[in-house]
Amino acid sequence: MRAQSTHFVATSFVIKLPVHGASNQSPARPKAGKLQKSAKRTLWELTAGQRVRYASAIGAMAVGTVFLLVVPYVLQRTLDTITTGQADWSDTLVPAGIAIVVAHALHGFFTYLRGRWAAEASEGLVRQLRHRLYEHLERLPCDYHDHVDTGDLVQRCSSDVETVRVFLAAQVVEIARVALFVAVAIPIMLSQNLKMTLVSSCVLPVLVLFAVMFFRKVRGAFKDVDEAEAKLTTVVQENLTGIRVVRAFGRQEFEIDKFLQRNGKFRDLEYRLFHIMARFWTLSDALVFLQVGLVLIGGAWFVIHGELTLGQWVLFFWLVRTIIWPVRHIGRVLADSSKATVAIGRIQDVLSEEPESEQDITDEPVRGAIAVRDLSFAYRDGQAALNKLSLTIEQGETIALLGSPGSGKTTLVNLLVRLYDYTEGTIHIGDSELRELRRDSVRDAFGMVLQDPFLYSRSVRDNVVVGKSSAADHEVEESARAADIHENIVEFQNGYDTLVGERGVTLSGGQRQRLAIARALLKQPEFLVLDDSLSAVDTKTEAQILRALASRRGKQTTILIAHRLSSTRLADRIFVLDHGRLVQQGTHDELVAADGPYGRLWAIQGTIEDEIERDLSGAADR
Amino acid sequence: MTHEDWSDDDSDETVDLRLWRKLLKYTLHYRRTAVTFCVVAFGMAASDLGFPIVTGKLIADVEANGADANIAFYGWAYGVLAVSLCANICAFILCAGKIRTHVSHDIRRDAFQRLQELSFSFYDTKPVGWLMARLTSDCNRLSNILAWGVMDLIWGSTLMAGISVVMVIYNWKLAIAVLSVVPVLFAVSVFFRKRILRTSRLVRKANSRLTGVYNEGIAGVRTTKVFVRQEQNLHDFDQLADNMQEHSVRNAILSAVYLPIVLTVSSVAIALALVLGGHEVVLGTLAIGEVVMFMYYAQLFFAPVQDLSAWFAELQMAQASAERVLSLVEAVPDVRDTDSVTLRLSEMGSDGHPDAIGRIEFQDVGFRYRTGPEIIGALNLVVESGQTIALVGATGGGKSTLVNLLCRFYEPTEGRIVIDGIDYTDRSLRWFQSHLGIVLQQPHLFSGTICENIRYGDLEATQQQIEDAARLAGAHEFISELEQGYETSVGEGGNQLSLGQKQLVSFARAVLKRPRLLVMDEATSSIDTETEQQIQAGLARVLTGRTSFVIAHRLSTIRAADRILVIEKGKIIEQGTHTELVRQGGHYHDLYTEQSMRDIVRIDNAMDSGAETLQ
Repeated sequence: MRAQSTHFVATSFVIKLPVHGASNQSPARPKAGKLQKSAKRTLWELTAGQRVRYASAIGAMAVGTVFLLVVPYVLQRTLDTITTGQADWSDTLVPAGIAIVVAHALHGFFTYLRGRWAAEASEGLVRQLRHRLYEHLERLPCDYHDHVDTGDLVQRCSSDVETVRVFLAAQVVEIARVALFVAVAIPIMLSQNLKMTLVSSCVLPVLVLFAVMFFRKVRGAFKDVDEAEAKLTTVVQENLTGIRVVRAFGRQEFEIDKFLQRNGKFRDLEYRLFHIMARFWTLSDALVFLQVGLVLIGGAWFVIHGELTLGQWVLFFWLVRTIIWPVRHIGRVLADSSKATVAIGRIQDVLSEEPESEQDITDEPVRGAIAVRDLSFAYRDGQAALNKLSLTIEQGETIALLGSPGSGKTTLVNLLVRLYDYTEGTIHIGDSELRELRRDSVRDAFGMVLQDPFLYSRSVRDNVVVGKSSAADHEVEESARAADIHENIVEFQNGYDTLVGERGVTLSGGQRQRLAIARALLKQPEFLVLDDSLSAVDTKTEAQILRALASRRGKQTTILIAHRLSSTRLADRIFVLDHGRLVQQGTHDELVAADGPYGRLWAIQGTIEDEIERDLSGAADR
Repeated sequence: MTHEDWSDDDSDETVDLRLWRKLLKYTLHYRRTAVTFCVVAFGMAASDLGFPIVTGKLIADVEANGADANIAFYGWAYGVLAVSLCANICAFILCAGKIRTHVSHDIRRDAFQRLQELSFSFYDTKPVGWLMARLTSDCNRLSNILAWGVMDLIWGSTLMAGISVVMVIYNWKLAIAVLSVVPVLFAVSVFFRKRILRTSRLVRKANSRLTGVYNEGIAGVRTTKVFVRQEQNLHDFDQLADNMQEHSVRNAILSAVYLPIVLTVSSVAIALALVLGGHEVVLGTLAIGEVVMFMYYAQLFFAPVQDLSAWFAELQMAQASAERVLSLVEAVPDVRDTDSVTLRLSEMGSDGHPDAIGRIEFQDVGFRYRTGPEIIGALNLVVESGQTIALVGATGGGKSTLVNLLCRFYEPTEGRIVIDGIDYTDRSLRWFQSHLGIVLQQPHLFSGTICENIRYGDLEATQQQIEDAARLAGAHEFISELEQGYETSVGEGGNQLSLGQKQLVSFARAVLKRPRLLVMDEATSSIDTETEQQIQAGLARVLTGRTSFVIAHRLSTIRAADRILVIEKGKIIEQGTHTELVRQGGHYHDLYTEQSMRDIVRIDNAMDSGAETLQ
């Protein structure tokens, strides 16, 4: 068993324990005391459905423990029988040998049951937790997502859940195992000899205490290593993704220096961790040897003085050696298990956030004119986005929204699909107030291309059929053609089955936008919204897409947000926003004629256009 | 975390010792530690070996001599062994720790340095995630084997050999009985360890997929909401979560079966020692103390068996990691200084040519990726010093390849590129590339402040120079509106800034460098026309007398060039000034007309007629 410890050293480093990064110190954390209490309750609620299995696991373990601790007892009986000279081959020795093997086998069987049930129970619980987290995250309002850091949230879902999993699957079980060991071993020892029991267990509490205190104290060192590793990873990642920039600026040496610094720092911190661990293993091993030595020497003394039989001596020796390694390990487990409380608290923070409200008052079809009246809206951080905005968009009309960044264009369309809830003013679609319509029906009626289109790391086809799951291949292709992306897709290695992202094809900004347009078109929605969705495509492609949109004119209400006047020109009406207000509206011709922001924009663009026209007509003349 | 995904495509293979010998060189670099390491491993095994002897002797002494037993002697002996073992353990962790951390540091360093030299043709075939996995998990894995694995090998085999010898010396019959269990144990261990290792890889892989899906769920939450995909996504997620649960449980069950079996098999050895030894005690040929010693040894034997079988399994599994890491460290860059250039650089400190970039000539240049189709074919081009060349044409026509060849990110597979009469492959690569300035459509910024990012263009630049560059690039305005101005952190990959802002910052970076050759690859696509014109005016001042290549869609950008090249299918199909090309009425003219407002008028008409038919 001594040797077992070396293996622990190795594996404890191979499997590095998850330590949360800087997010642990997040100032937003609520008061610790209250949190811990609710964290424990959450943990308890979580175990619902698996409690029986969990309890069976611990029961199996208890039975198994008894069998393992029978072994020293068998040894004692056998050896004492031999000493007294009453032993013989078939009555004592062979049965003892069989007893040892059977005891181990039974112990093994129950250990297996424990392992299996504990794994099934804890994995089942964690599976449930993961499901809840994902479901909840999808339901949380945009308002929430705007204000959280994606990395932190992912960490809560992955490493915090992992911490809870380790706690449930291993730590709780390990703590119970050691407690059972001690609870069974002490009575066995007491039944033999009181004084020897004291000698055999006096170092054990010191050992546990030492380990707990030690790991509490050095927790920082583990965290430092994790942070250094994260920084190193960032440097490498940025270097590799930006390798063109590095080469173009001939900054290889600078990059290597930067890397070497981080690499060295990580190495040194990790090495320091080994120093700390060396101290721990050395000192705790010394305590272990002290305890075993006490049993040996103390036992010898008792035997000589006739207070103990030789068999009992071996019993104490064997028993102590069986329980001491798990006891030493438990200190670390105890220290680590406190992380579970923190982790569950962080998960609890997410789960207790309010999801998007779900009241469906009317179930009327979402269609008709959009009427916005006195609409005001401010984001959570207090930044006002819309200020008593009123406008009407007729059914089937194509309108363009224009305005400088921050004028409220995106906010308006986000409110239309109920990504945010407004409190001041009204929006009517047809005869219904938007707030009384089901969120999902509203969103179903809209085909929306977001400003920064998001693509799933799946195949191109999967990304398009997001718009309509039941779409046939020819429909997918049609909408891809309309978005002028079909030609690109068929050139990819696997055509529509090419994966998007690192494992497949990396799309340019323009291609992403066009793919997003294709999926919105596939939906054939009542309302189509393009939020600055043509900014990264060339003018030729832009014209092509606009032509495709034109063919659907009148069949759907279209809202275009754009900077280029070539896009806005073809709208039936143009709305110019500024600081959340409507400052101009009318047809292109009306607005060009009027004195206002649109006219000024037209003038800038127009100068260039004029020159181009001149060049062209000049060329045509010749 | 997502790197994990790239590290699991390995199966178990036969161990190729040649690879491991190469890797062992990393350990041997720390010769003193390595020697201490071996000594310590032996010392530890020796101390481990001593305990059962002291224990057995003590029991035998008490058994035989009662009150006359020399307890004090055994107390001292035990104490000495304990101290020696503790000291060895301390030294062992320090040595293994040193080798573990330093070797992984060194492998990572070599790989990273090599990556800085490798050509883009290498990067084309290896995704960043793949490379990251080599530098992170593979490095850790290999250094673990080289430190803990080697240590366990030395310690374990010494200990097992030692135990066998001691047992045989004491009582060969008992020794054989105990040792008879070893082959069974080893077979069982290897069998299970491999499967456990394999399933735990599956768990890790499933886990990293799950993390990826969370990431996607959070990052794409708006898209999910807008397309009402919550149910569908949750369904997909649940499948992955089920998969994860299944693998985890399988992995746990395998472990739950393995340990009890090992324990039971080794208990057979203990029982044999008790039964056979006890019999000899009854016969009077053995002391009870010695029986205890044998049982102790029987127990002691099985930890190294388990460890060694675990490492054996890991070694097989890590074979692929070793191959991949070594293939990276030993990769040879396609584009590198020729031998004669390297020689001149080391002898003269330069490549021996004048320090200038003037006239650039493409002579019958052709290019293809490895075995792929021809991308550029027989291309001839002469660019005089100080000219601005615009490249236009459809995506995929070869514009970007042409500038990549120009920048010597790739070298022509046919023909040559000549600068001031000298083939550019006869020049120092580092020298040449340090005079380039490149601005890309998807600009890459490093995490850090805006100021640090601009300074990348000239590491010695003063704050004033940085601000001047930002002004010329039209970036100063938005930067000074930020709360922390130039000290604003751009976030990882520059993601705190909009695309347009990133383009402006990367422009400023290039301006600060004042390169002799500037390449702009759709560098202003997300910048409004007004700002773009401003930048052009700024650039014109900075770049007087310098050559530049511009790839762009916007006509206002192209028109300003001295010469426009229309590229299609890897060939220059038209070239000339804007006016000349428009007059020719060829491809450029068509391209130009397509983009002009006239087309919009056509659309207007189309829409009107569409509306009419609807009415």
